[in-house]
Amino acid sequence: MDLIWIIGIVIIIIIAFFALIYWGFYNRIIRKENRIDNSWAQIDVQLKRRADLIPNLMETVKGYMKHEKEVLENVTKARASLMNAKTPQENIDADNMLTGALKSLFAVSENYPDLKANQNFLSLQDELTNTENKIAYSRQHYNDSILSYNNTIETFPGLWFAKRMNKKTKEMLNIPEESKELPKVSF
Amino acid sequence: MGKKLLIEDQIRRNKQLTIFICTFMALLFIGVVFAFGYIFFQNVFIALAFGIPIAIAYVAVTYSFSIRTVLSAAKARPANPNIREEKILIYKVEEMSIAAGLPMPKVYVQDSENINAFATGKKPENSVICVTTGSLRKLKPDELEGVIAHEMSHIKNHDILIATVTIAVVGTIALISEILFYSLLWGGAGRGRRNDGNAILIAIAIIFIILAPIFSRLTYLMISRRREYLADSNGAYLSRNPDGLAKALEKIKLDQPKGKPKGSKTVAPLYIANPFKMNISEKGSIWSTHPPINERIRRLRSM
Repeated sequence: MDLIWIIGIVIIIIIAFFALIYWGFYNRIIRKENRIDNSWAQIDVQLKRRADLIPNLMETVKGYMKHEKEVLENVTKARASLMNAKTPQENIDADNMLTGALKSLFAVSENYPDLKANQNFLSLQDELTNTENKIAYSRQHYNDSILSYNNTIETFPGLWFAKRMNKKTKEMLNIPEESKELPKVSF
Repeated sequence: MGKKLLIEDQIRRNKQLTIFICTFMALLFIGVVFAFGYIFFQNVFIALAFGIPIAIAYVAVTYSFSIRTVLSAAKARPANPNIREEKILIYKVEEMSIAAGLPMPKVYVQDSENINAFATGKKPENSVICVTTGSLRKLKPDELEGVIAHEMSHIKNHDILIATVTIAVVGTIALISEILFYSLLWGGAGRGRRNDGNAILIAIAIIFIILAPIFSRLTYLMISRRREYLADSNGAYLSRNPDGLAKALEKIKLDQPKGKPKGSKTVAPLYIANPFKMNISEKGSIWSTHPPINERIRRLRSM
């Protein structure tokens, strides 16, 4: 009689132990997955903000830069492709295009002292650099989150639970090396 | 030495060491309480019932006053977005908080010629980063970013909590040992001497209690230096640019503090470099809150 009791209790303890571990891992995996979605939302917000700033910039620059049609057109084109992008990777590629176009615009602006003295232009330039950095850092955080998620579901014992929950590894964003270099805006 | 360590490995190793040191601290604390109980009441449980509430109360009190005390001691004011330098500081803090995946901390500025910065707050949701106006003028954007990344890591690693708790434990250990010391002077703790066999044990307990405050203080400082290295490497991980912070530290090294530093000494470990006593010697002292600046630069450069 006693022996049955002991065996019963031991079995219950073991089951409870595994249930607790499963609970912990379930929550951990879901939390990490939510973090990925959340960091994508962050990127999206910044991309929109950046696209919104461009018309203002164009308006300010137009009066000064009469002979830089191509540079201005490139910026407009890049913005349009950013507005039309759908998948994360498309978004990022369009954003890289915009970064390049803006870089040459700011480089050319060095030739227009009047423009450089314009307060509006200066604060737009600061804000664009800020959104650009924010995009870079939120991409980095997005990839960090994916790495941490993938590590959890690919290593033991998370592997087991992930299979049970039908979770698959996610793909990181492909960020070109040179885009990590932040544009130099002197201040 | 000179071995290249991945940032991730440095972070992991530092965390393990902190856990190890914290465990030592906890053991020290329990040891003191036990010794206290043994000498005073010859009963450990009374001592536990006495010592642990003191420690908890101490932590609660220091903790609940932290932010306001620190900010007013430093005479910090909120950053003004109408000044370009301070607006750029706000931008940088925003960027680093995104990199760390933390809510945006409040940004404060301290009017001071020196290059320094600190972070405070009970938890990441209501934290503060404060930077001196000297840093805004003297540091380049990537250096400022390195400094902010370092502070952001202090917030992310809950260093503010660790600092408060360890300070409280150090304080409690000192308090217990002082109570005991005076009661021994007055002969109040003589009850244990009735039994001769216990004399040696009691002597050991007394020696332990005299040494414990020193050990706990040293342990606390060791934790503080560890957390500093950890924040350095975590910051480098966030900004992906160890060089920025390394260059900033070099500027701090050359720019010795002028004038009396404002602020409270308890938060010295939260500054990027101790504003009260700069540790620039090659060899670190076991009494300093921060690791030697040259060693910090060397580690950042080897990432």
